[in-house]
Amino acid sequence: MYVVKRLFTMLVTLWVIVTLTFLIMHLIPGDPFATDSKAIPEAVLENMRARYNLDKPLSTQYVLYLKNLLTFDLGPSIQSKTTDVNTLIARGFVPSALLGIQSMLLALFAGIMLGTIAALHHNRALDFISMFIAMLGISIPSFILAPLLIKYMAVQWGLLPVAAWGTWKHTLLPTFALAVTPIAIIARFVRTSMLEVLHQEYIHTAEAKGLPTWKIVLKHGLRNSLIPVLSFIGPLFASVVTGTFVVEKIFAIPGIGKYFVDSIFNRDYPVIMGTTIFYSVVLVVTLFLIDLSYRFIDPRIKLSSKGA
Amino acid sequence: MKKWNLMLAIIILTAAALTGCSGSDNSGATPTEASKDAASVPQVLTANLSGGEPYTLDPAFASDTTSYFIIDNLYEGLYTYDKSGKIVEGAASKVDISPDAKTYTFTIRDGAKWSNGDPVTAHDFEYSWKRILNPKTAAYDPSSLYYIKGAEEYNKGKGKVENVGVTAKDDRTLLVELKAPLGIFPTIAVGHAYLPVRSTVVDQNEKWAAEANTIVGNGPYSPQEWKHNEQITLTKNANYWNKDAISMETIHFKMVQDATTYYQMYKTGDLDLILALPLDTIDQEKNNKEYLSHPSFSVYTYSFNVKEKPFTNRKIRQAFSYAIDRETLTTNVTKGGEKAAFGYVPYGVINPSGKDYRDDAPEKYYAFNAEKAKQLLAEGLKEEGLTQLPTVTFKYNTADNHKKIAEALQAMLLENLGVEVKLENQEWKTYIDTFKQKNFQIARMGWEGNYLDPLGVLGHYTSSNSNNFTNWSNKTYDDLIEKATYELDANKRVALTQQAEKVLMEDLPIIPILFSADTALVSPKVTGIVFDARSNPDLRFATRVEK
Repeated sequence: MYVVKRLFTMLVTLWVIVTLTFLIMHLIPGDPFATDSKAIPEAVLENMRARYNLDKPLSTQYVLYLKNLLTFDLGPSIQSKTTDVNTLIARGFVPSALLGIQSMLLALFAGIMLGTIAALHHNRALDFISMFIAMLGISIPSFILAPLLIKYMAVQWGLLPVAAWGTWKHTLLPTFALAVTPIAIIARFVRTSMLEVLHQEYIHTAEAKGLPTWKIVLKHGLRNSLIPVLSFIGPLFASVVTGTFVVEKIFAIPGIGKYFVDSIFNRDYPVIMGTTIFYSVVLVVTLFLIDLSYRFIDPRIKLSSKGA
Repeated sequence: MKKWNLMLAIIILTAAALTGCSGSDNSGATPTEASKDAASVPQVLTANLSGGEPYTLDPAFASDTTSYFIIDNLYEGLYTYDKSGKIVEGAASKVDISPDAKTYTFTIRDGAKWSNGDPVTAHDFEYSWKRILNPKTAAYDPSSLYYIKGAEEYNKGKGKVENVGVTAKDDRTLLVELKAPLGIFPTIAVGHAYLPVRSTVVDQNEKWAAEANTIVGNGPYSPQEWKHNEQITLTKNANYWNKDAISMETIHFKMVQDATTYYQMYKTGDLDLILALPLDTIDQEKNNKEYLSHPSFSVYTYSFNVKEKPFTNRKIRQAFSYAIDRETLTTNVTKGGEKAAFGYVPYGVINPSGKDYRDDAPEKYYAFNAEKAKQLLAEGLKEEGLTQLPTVTFKYNTADNHKKIAEALQAMLLENLGVEVKLENQEWKTYIDTFKQKNFQIARMGWEGNYLDPLGVLGHYTSSNSNNFTNWSNKTYDDLIEKATYELDANKRVALTQQAEKVLMEDLPIIPILFSADTALVSPKVTGIVFDARSNPDLRFATRVEK
């Protein structure tokens, strides 16, 4: 029952997003056909608008769009003429998701490690070092980190390719550049939450039983301290696997990150809609899965419409 | 973003000095050396598309220099460019021009073939041009074909396709009837709107231009592989009539958009050629032998709205122009090697005299003169019955380079004219909308010539031109442009365009600020790439001389 209700809410949420995006997008001034350095005569513009149904009233365009959407057809990209939005997303999602998943795994692993180390050495040198690294990770933006990585790892030391896509080697630098901020955020969350958990009575009981520290941390500490981490991993995961504008551009990754930004500058309406819907679906589904997973991590959490 | 990027590419990343000559190629080696070496060196070139994935490889829809960079290698029009950048016959072997210069009869070259082996016929050209003119096609640039009889009417839904003056008499003869005699028809017909596509291919598959294996062209190269958003690989077209003149077997185009990244890739040898260098590298690369800069046929302007006070007054407009120190602007502010614009027609057009049109111009307009500026402003204000200048707002589209220039102009006007101007910026597409609605007093705009002729830019300011958003209309100017358009004598035409430029500069609906130039780094291992005022370097004659 819970699942059915959730699915229904998800659909309504998506419909609201589609409608709002559609309206807001058409409120922005400008049209897809304005180009630089050459003005197109009005008669020619009219032909172009007619081709993409942009000459019809907005309500008609909206109904047409929803109709196509029901058949999962996101329409043609106005900019690229020969490619439709479904193809654009399908093509770009593979590299974006690959990088995203790789960097999330790295971020989870490194972030939990750093956070746990910091918590176990609370207020001692290792704590400060870990948190210092985390601070750096949060404060260095990826558009600075990425060129630095290229400059040293690729150009000066020649260890890895500068950019582009192809082999696993090409994925290393962008994965790292993408993971740094999440590592830092996860580390700080884990540390706080772990500190709290380590002061719980069941931990003291475990200590009293004479269990080794690593076992206490892994079995009792980590599991319980991961719940707050989970709740923000959902949105983070959704945004990372759907590509990022800056990192993908700097490393020339053939992902979908750029469409989120370019489509708006280009007023490429079908692409704006398509990327927004795609991102929303990934986000809504991820959140749903995360909610389900709480139950497995902590059976005390009951799934109910209210609790969700 | 693409357009926007292009804009940035064209305008931000511009550079240096040009001499009197029109173009340059990077041939370090002599031809014999080149061909001798070429035999043993694998003929592979790796270039970059700084705009990323080309939007389309169908010439009917392409509108950006990134797409054109590939398209120029895939298709060949009736006219094409030779190694020296001169317009010569391409897919046509012979052109007969009627005595009244209104009818062009093209003979399609014997042996001209499509990449799939089909012969190129006159029917292909008729089909392609009419396809672009068909209002249902909604092509990007049908107006370039409006010089042909009946073309404009058909495109605007007021005429029939049968009345368009393009007829294939037989497989090899194409008859083109123009509206009026047009001396510069070759300059216009070498443009992208005139490129042919293969009718059978286009009719069979609506998305024929979306993938490498469905594209059929008649140019020197054909696409071998297209990894979207990553790389396009072209190989020499074995069916190309002039294949013996082509030495490069393979051209890779990577799609790296970030300027610093492609610069680093050039430095590590991953790329043989990059365009639009990152601005901060120009200073250190300027003296590098691999560095090239050449004029691009574009002009950076501020447009007045001549119906908005105080710019209804000509003297006030002139005062603003005299108060701008363009040399200081290019040497101290933009520093990408741009040229001060003392006129409207950019560098890059060669006059019959052999000199650049700009260098041949009889006058240097608006050399910096603060005294004259102040005097003109005072006179203008008096004529308007004003004691003080109303608030003036400069509008520009949001970008660092435009901001820098706008702020410099603001400072110059304050210092040289005692005028305080306000600055206002908007995101590109919003800005274009504002500009088209003429909702400005004075606003920034960069124009690239529609074709490589003074008329390609001067034509923008006739009363009926769709690029003219200044509200300016001048009968003398319109007449001069019309006369120049249909003048067949090259020297007389130059004189007419010079007169037109003078009218434009004196009445001054726009202030030319600077002329852009493009920058490039080219590996010394490759020779024969042609750089001139066209928007992309010509790779067709490139040869690799060293591995």
